[in-house]
Amino acid sequence: MFSFFNKKRSAKTAKDRLTIAIMSDRESTNFPFMDELKAEIIEVVKKYIDVKGVTIQKETHDGVEALSIDVELNK
Amino acid sequence: MGIVIAVISGKGGVGKTTTTANLGVGIAQNGKKCVVVDFDIGQRNLDMHLGLENRVVYDMVHVMDDGVSLKQALIKSKITPNLSFLAASQTKDKSVLDSEKIKKMIEELKEDFDFVILDAPAGIESGYEHTIEFADRAIVVVNPEVSSIRDSDRAIGILDSKSQKVKEGKEVEKYLVINRIDPKMVQSGEMLSSEDILDILNIPLIGKIPEDKGIIEASNQGKPIILTKDSAAAQAYERVAKRMCGEEIPFVDVEKENGGFMSKIKGIFK
Repeated sequence: MFSFFNKKRSAKTAKDRLTIAIMSDRESTNFPFMDELKAEIIEVVKKYIDVKGVTIQKETHDGVEALSIDVELNK
Repeated sequence: MGIVIAVISGKGGVGKTTTTANLGVGIAQNGKKCVVVDFDIGQRNLDMHLGLENRVVYDMVHVMDDGVSLKQALIKSKITPNLSFLAASQTKDKSVLDSEKIKKMIEELKEDFDFVILDAPAGIESGYEHTIEFADRAIVVVNPEVSSIRDSDRAIGILDSKSQKVKEGKEVEKYLVINRIDPKMVQSGEMLSSEDILDILNIPLIGKIPEDKGIIEASNQGKPIILTKDSAAAQAYERVAKRMCGEEIPFVDVEKENGGFMSKIKGIFK
């Protein structure tokens, strides 16, 4: 009975480890967070000027990786 | 015009093909015309799950390369006339797949069926990319276990960057099926709960399937478990199938079921 309540909660460990591993996977490989990034950029720019849309592209030039961000304005 | 649903997982052995077979039967039994397509070139398995292995004459590659018509290649399930099956090629290697040909085949299937369900291969290589290329939606199958969840996130990442819909600026809707849940382990904190998994993956849940020994027996016989009405997994798959057909079915807390004596005692004190 005692051991039941005392059991190590390995699910918690799994969650913590997974959260970190997946975050680093996402950063280093592709950009599943692209939509959120877009939405946040729109929010920020919108505070100052009317935005029509945002395009983000991952580009590689001479071995250097870069994000190219185009903000299209509303007129 | 039907919708195309890719069943994906990243990691192998989590129950992707089992899920495809059961959802195919479930959707068909809900009165929708449904075709399940095995995209696992070289490792055909969906035919076994559906008990159709002896009836395969032509496969997907015959349709795409050798001028065999879909009508000739599609196999009607004996379980329900609403369900058809298209086999993966067992002989040719997966480099035979060609986007234009796949597109043509899928467009043709969409004309005849309400649901076109594609069973993706494990991994995230070209075979997988071809499966998700023309998908409208994806069912992501995971087990409550670290490698399955991590690999599924990679598979989702590829879906979100390489599918045709995403390239057109649209979104492929993704739904999570958590398979092989052991309620006792979740209760004792030894297995990730569905809330944990949803926090990590951040896609909407469409089903929670409890671990069920009947699954093996079902595949032994080539009769998807959804046909065994009293099984917990069968009922869970039935709920997913109904949700996919647009019905609002409340979620059952499978993690709290079968808890036995201890959970009942705890329940009293809640």
